[in-house]
Amino acid sequence: MTPMPGAEPREPEDPAFDGTLREEDTAGQEAPASPVAARQPRRVTWQKVTVLPAVLAAVLVATWLWFEQADLDPLSENALSNGQVGKALRQHIELTVISTFFVLIIAIPLGILLTRGAFRKGAPVVMALANTGQATPAIGLLALLVIWMGIGEKAALTGIVIYAVLPVLSNTIAGLRANDPTLLEAARGIGMSPLGVLVKVELPLAVPLILAGVRTALVLNVGTATLATFGGGGGLGVLITTGITNQRMPVLMLGSILTVVLALLVDWLASLAELVLSPRGLEVRS
Amino acid sequence: MNFWEYLGNRRQQLLADALQHAGAVFQCMVVATAVGVLIGVLTYRSAWAGNLATTVTSTILTVPSLAMIGLLIPVVGLGVAPTVTALTLYGLLPIVRNAIVGLRGVDPTLVDAAKGIGMSRLHRLVRIELPLAWPPILTGIRVSTQMLMGIAAIAAYASGPGLGNEIFRGIASLGSKNALNQVLAGTLGIILLALLFDAVYVLIGRLTIPRGIRV
Repeated sequence: MTPMPGAEPREPEDPAFDGTLREEDTAGQEAPASPVAARQPRRVTWQKVTVLPAVLAAVLVATWLWFEQADLDPLSENALSNGQVGKALRQHIELTVISTFFVLIIAIPLGILLTRGAFRKGAPVVMALANTGQATPAIGLLALLVIWMGIGEKAALTGIVIYAVLPVLSNTIAGLRANDPTLLEAARGIGMSPLGVLVKVELPLAVPLILAGVRTALVLNVGTATLATFGGGGGLGVLITTGITNQRMPVLMLGSILTVVLALLVDWLASLAELVLSPRGLEVRS
Repeated sequence: MNFWEYLGNRRQQLLADALQHAGAVFQCMVVATAVGVLIGVLTYRSAWAGNLATTVTSTILTVPSLAMIGLLIPVVGLGVAPTVTALTLYGLLPIVRNAIVGLRGVDPTLVDAAKGIGMSRLHRLVRIELPLAWPPILTGIRVSTQMLMGIAAIAAYASGPGLGNEIFRGIASLGSKNALNQVLAGTLGIILLALLFDAVYVLIGRLTIPRGIRV
């Protein structure tokens, strides 16, 4: 389910439609499903830039104020002192960024490859695999990797990457296939080489889609990274699980709130990047 | 003990976990479908309300499930309550969005024709618009179910029901001989359940999508 941002909401029957890709959901705000929205050009509005960060900042300030006056017992103190919160946050961001990087350098070239001549036959297999992969619980996958590779950041990262590669890959394939064949025909007609068609026509047309892939991967990975704690990979999940096992609500709340804020912030940044970086010429595609 | 022996030995426990898992997902899906379609019906006619509904539900979906469960625990406690609440909330988005897209996609001339032959607003909705929007809604339900299968596994950490317990038991006893068996049994069980549900949805689609609009 990964229409390019700003594009018409994709037909839900679309083969690429699946439940974990979230990037277009907020882009759906401007989906021209209504005549009113259709007339507005897609651009960065001041609401888009200010509302979410303001809300998130308010949430953070409220949390901070609450912690200022909160009476923490030694167990909670222990879990939160010595910069452990900062460390968890840093680890979480690290896990997200590194895994997203790997997801993109694996999924996008592979997607391009699978839409080229001889490899095209592999695409349905990958699509089917992606759909089945959707049914695999992230935590189960992670646990299996931990048993296989041992506890640590490596197993966690591998799990996060595997979990996000398939949706981004099936998205890339669907997007490249959705390119208007007449345009490719025209490009070939004026004598462009296959490489030229790819670099000068197909890829630029697929930029919104690639950006959508980045956003999908980022949001998905922030979520999966919370599970890294079960494999000894650190991250904000540590605070959440410590809070749950020790029945310490302040620790649990802080971990959860920071995770939510991080997820929404990442999604917001990616949505801005989509708007800013998409080629202007594609705006009226919908 | 190898995997098959393990399955044989723990048959009862695994079956009970699987049933609980399927039951939790199924019940939450029923609620999510009812609420989701209702939200869709109430909001699709106004651009503003429809977009708001989509934005709110998609924001919920952006929240990592472990954090969502973490936020719910102080409110509703441990166990079944946070599981059910989280599952229902996450199940909403694909259904709400597909219901809105589906209802908006209904050919206005058809609705006009229905109006012309004197059908009331409710009649038009129930007899014309919802049946025509049903295929995308059903797709939404399928997508939601697949997603909830995995989220339910994570909810087991907050003492929720289901096969996730098997996985977490394995994680807790890392290094022991049974860890792999437990994790494998839980993971494969969930994949199996997800595929099973999906097959049922395909069947439901065959039976309930009006012949005239089948592709």
